[in-house]
Amino acid sequence: MFNSIKINCYKSVFFVGFLISSIQFSLNCFAQENDAEFEKEFSQFENAINKGSIHDPFENFNRKVYKFNDTIDRYFVEHIARGYRYSVPRPARTSVRNFLDNLTLPISALNSFAQGKIDNGLTTISSFIINSTLGVGGFFEVAGKRGLDYEREDFGQTLGYWGMSSDNFLMLPFFGPSNARDLGGFVFDRSLDPVGFNVVHFGGNTNLIDGNYRIANTAIKVIDNREELLDILDGIRKDSFDPYATIRSAYLQRRLAQIDN
Amino acid sequence: MKKILLALIFLFNNEAIAQNKAPQDMIREFVQIVGDQIIDVAKDKSLNEVQRKQKIINIIDKSTDSKWIARFVLGKNHKTANEEQRKQFMSMYREFMINTYGPKFNSYDGKKFAVNSVEKQSNFYLVKSEFTPKNSDVAIFFDFRIKENEGSFFIVDFIAEGVSLIETQRSEFNSSISEEGMDKFLENLKKRIDSLRLENGKTSPKNSGKSTKK
Repeated sequence: MFNSIKINCYKSVFFVGFLISSIQFSLNCFAQENDAEFEKEFSQFENAINKGSIHDPFENFNRKVYKFNDTIDRYFVEHIARGYRYSVPRPARTSVRNFLDNLTLPISALNSFAQGKIDNGLTTISSFIINSTLGVGGFFEVAGKRGLDYEREDFGQTLGYWGMSSDNFLMLPFFGPSNARDLGGFVFDRSLDPVGFNVVHFGGNTNLIDGNYRIANTAIKVIDNREELLDILDGIRKDSFDPYATIRSAYLQRRLAQIDN
Repeated sequence: MKKILLALIFLFNNEAIAQNKAPQDMIREFVQIVGDQIIDVAKDKSLNEVQRKQKIINIIDKSTDSKWIARFVLGKNHKTANEEQRKQFMSMYREFMINTYGPKFNSYDGKKFAVNSVEKQSNFYLVKSEFTPKNSDVAIFFDFRIKENEGSFFIVDFIAEGVSLIETQRSEFNSSISEEGMDKFLENLKKRIDSLRLENGKTSPKNSGKSTKK
């Protein structure tokens, strides 16, 4: 009698032990299966979003430049931009931005043509003409309000469009994030631009635009750009565990999206 | 009893209707509802700032798959981290995400939120939408990535100007972990969550001042 109870006891202990271990085993299996499923999903997801990888062989140097820019920004540029936001009312700021934007349209149109986007290029030129005339020298963005819609293009995008990879990531002093391709594109665009570097002379006229105007244009552009970025950069500085990496990733993704548009 | 029966019929009927709908339509509806809910809370002047923040945090919490995002954001570090570190990260990420991004929608008391298109891309859906702020006629465009999980839909990504939130965050976390090491990173994450909770639990005079001046 006792013997049989004992055996039963052993049996049940054995059974419970078996049960526990089998539950654990199946849980483990489930977890592994779950992991495998996760991994499969992620690889599918990554193939679909295809953001490309980051090439940053000069990271140490770039980080130093970032620190330099960040310091200059915190001491000077940011304060000027904030002062500009609080002292100049929004409509006036919008007009300034429209004026500066309008001046970049001819180069943008040229780049559209270079990418074979004839329709976009023509729309850009129409917008430039309409804004410059009806929009009083570009201060009012009339074309956009009338439904003329176009994408902006620059030479970095043109190179990307024709298959050139972004190559090494660069953090430029004063200018911020860029890469080898976009830096080349930027220099090329500014060389063609009458308000840019004054390298290419149109019609033999070497002083089409006064040097002081060029400097003023650049200065206002810097303040306007920084004002536009105030909220974004405040957010990055507050939220990011590594602002350099955040800016690098966001810049590269944004450029990729602009090339794909 | 009758009530229960009626409720049951209603429930099953609803489900039947839902099942007949194309997933694209259901997702369109889901995103529209989430967007409208956020705008409604942001507009609701009967709530104070803390209540609004907490309500939006709840909406974000319910509509996102934070576990999935946490795993994605951890990226290659998932393999190198030990079991304990993984667990810690997974349990902290949700708190971090909702408390970081929830309050950002506090100022989204816009005129309109509309879903423009829903498109299936591999194993998720890309939803394109636009938002018109209160004091502007120019719409802001942004996209969501939506994932289906056991019949429900969850937001897994938010994309503005071609910049994906989770992709950027993964890059940031990877970089921070490789610079400082996993343990230090987890410690920083914990500190951040504590300070965010504190911040979201009280009104910030600086923020409200900013929004009126803009």
